[in-house]
Amino acid sequence: MKLTELFAKGTFVFTGEVGPVKGCCRTNGGPPPDFVREAVAIKDYVHAVNVADNQSALMRLGSLAASVLLKQAGVEPIFQLTCRDRNRIALQSDLMSACTLGIDNVLCLTGDHIRLGDHASAKPVFDVDSVQLLKIARGLNEGRDMMGNPLTQPTDLALGAVVNPGFEPLDLQLIKMEKKVAQGAQFFQTQAVFDPIIFESFIKKAERFGVPVMYGLLIVKSPEMAHYINRNISGITVPTWLVRELESVPPEGRKDKALEITLRLAREMAPMVQGIHFMPLGWSDLIPPVVQELRGKGVPGAGGGAG
Amino acid sequence: MIGTIKKPLEEVLAALAPYRKVALVGCDGCAKVCRTGGVDEVAEMARTLEEHGKEVVFQAAPERTCNVAKSDPVLQPLTDKIEEADALLVLGCGGAVQITRHLTETYGLIKPIKVGCNSVGHLDTLVPGAVALEECSDCGECLLNDTGGICPVTRCAKSLLNGPCGGAEAGKCEVDHTRDCAWILIYERLKALGETDKLKRFLEPKDFSKMAKPRTLYIKEGRVAS
Ligand code: SF4
Ligand code: SF4
Repeated sequence: MKLTELFAKGTFVFTGEVGPVKGCCRTNGGPPPDFVREAVAIKDYVHAVNVADNQSALMRLGSLAASVLLKQAGVEPIFQLTCRDRNRIALQSDLMSACTLGIDNVLCLTGDHIRLGDHASAKPVFDVDSVQLLKIARGLNEGRDMMGNPLTQPTDLALGAVVNPGFEPLDLQLIKMEKKVAQGAQFFQTQAVFDPIIFESFIKKAERFGVPVMYGLLIVKSPEMAHYINRNISGITVPTWLVRELESVPPEGRKDKALEITLRLAREMAPMVQGIHFMPLGWSDLIPPVVQELRGKGVPGAGGGAG
Repeated sequence: MIGTIKKPLEEVLAALAPYRKVALVGCDGCAKVCRTGGVDEVAEMARTLEEHGKEVVFQAAPERTCNVAKSDPVLQPLTDKIEEADALLVLGCGGAVQITRHLTETYGLIKPIKVGCNSVGHLDTLVPGAVALEECSDCGECLLNDTGGICPVTRCAKSLLNGPCGGAEAGKCEVDHTRDCAWILIYERLKALGETDKLKRFLEPKDFSKMAKPRTLYIKEGRVAS
């Protein structure tokens, strides 16, 4: 189901995220790969699950194949599509392939630079940017390719985009967000942000675009992971208070602590947004209690059934 | 200019291994600026080659080796010497090497032309003798009128045309934290000019046919074909 239909009904939307493995996933009747099992385990609690596209430029199973595996397992995938590895012909072709294979949601991204991944000598493509990709995808939904040639059948994809509320200068990020809306973005998932004040000032400015925004909630598992993110993952800053809280408990208590922090952030941010996008980094089992709690607390729309 | 760096000496010597008599052609234009192939570097290479048992039949450094108008008048009178050489070593960009090859062919000579440098881009000298920066990738359709005179095609690691990716931190690019994010530079510059409205304009995907290789410039007509 397209997330846009859920937003239109006023549903508070929850999404998760999985990363495909480095390897072929032909199961020959055996058990599904771990990332599929991880998605299936939360499927009653989230409406859809993002499938990363060679995340951090680390070469993996394709996000389209992985999205199809999720769909077959009864989980609604959000197919992430980056401009890093595909020129405009491949992007359009993959969008049509996705729709053909039953994908309903696509997240249009620029993609992390190749320099940050495990194939640093590859040729970066970046033929188009994420704003242009949205326009291209909208054109395909309207039945024409980017050169204006008619399609035998249009695509029918809900078009998502990302925005970073922690970006400075924020105005520059908002200009880009506005361009994304103008070119076809129908919903946003935000980059991870942990400061309600920063998030609120972003939301106040972004509200005028009239497009649903999902708060990006990254589950930080340990102080070491926080340091790693701050050192290596661009665009995300884990604040000192969060690191201190994780440090205040012994390693075996970290998961409970992470749940407590996640719950607190979810409660604080939920009233400002139309959904929450969890980035659980493998701790997907923390998603159900958070979703249950929000639904129990009557977050607007959060009581609706998922799936 | 075209930036160049020196190839490791072992690589140069390996390329010249089959030859004893070597002619040296530098470039007193860009390669001089990069200190890889000006008159001084050519002389230095001549000494090095002699130390390694080569005979240097001549050394020359035309003012702009990539331009036949400058290199032909220098090399043509040396035709006999070129003929005597077993190979030529060019200390210049890939263009200097190929123009040298082209000229020797027009002199009716088939000589191995070897290269002593790696070409590293169309660069602008920021600090003489120290730093040159890649600021333009010759896209064939210049956008600088709308981007505050800062090129997003080249200075943004992802060549984004419609604003920054989400990865910049403290004004620095996600790909290299020692480098400014081009889009933040563009934003600051347009703000200073009172032209931030320009940022709101959607830019269409670039027409890469204008960058299709190899391009030929017809100078009289002011026309490019590829
Ligand atoms: S837009 Fe950039 S790459 Fe294109 S011609 Fe201008 S400076 Fe060069
Ligand atoms: S951080 Fe800035 S310069 Fe670097 S890739 Fe992103 S937008 Fe381009």
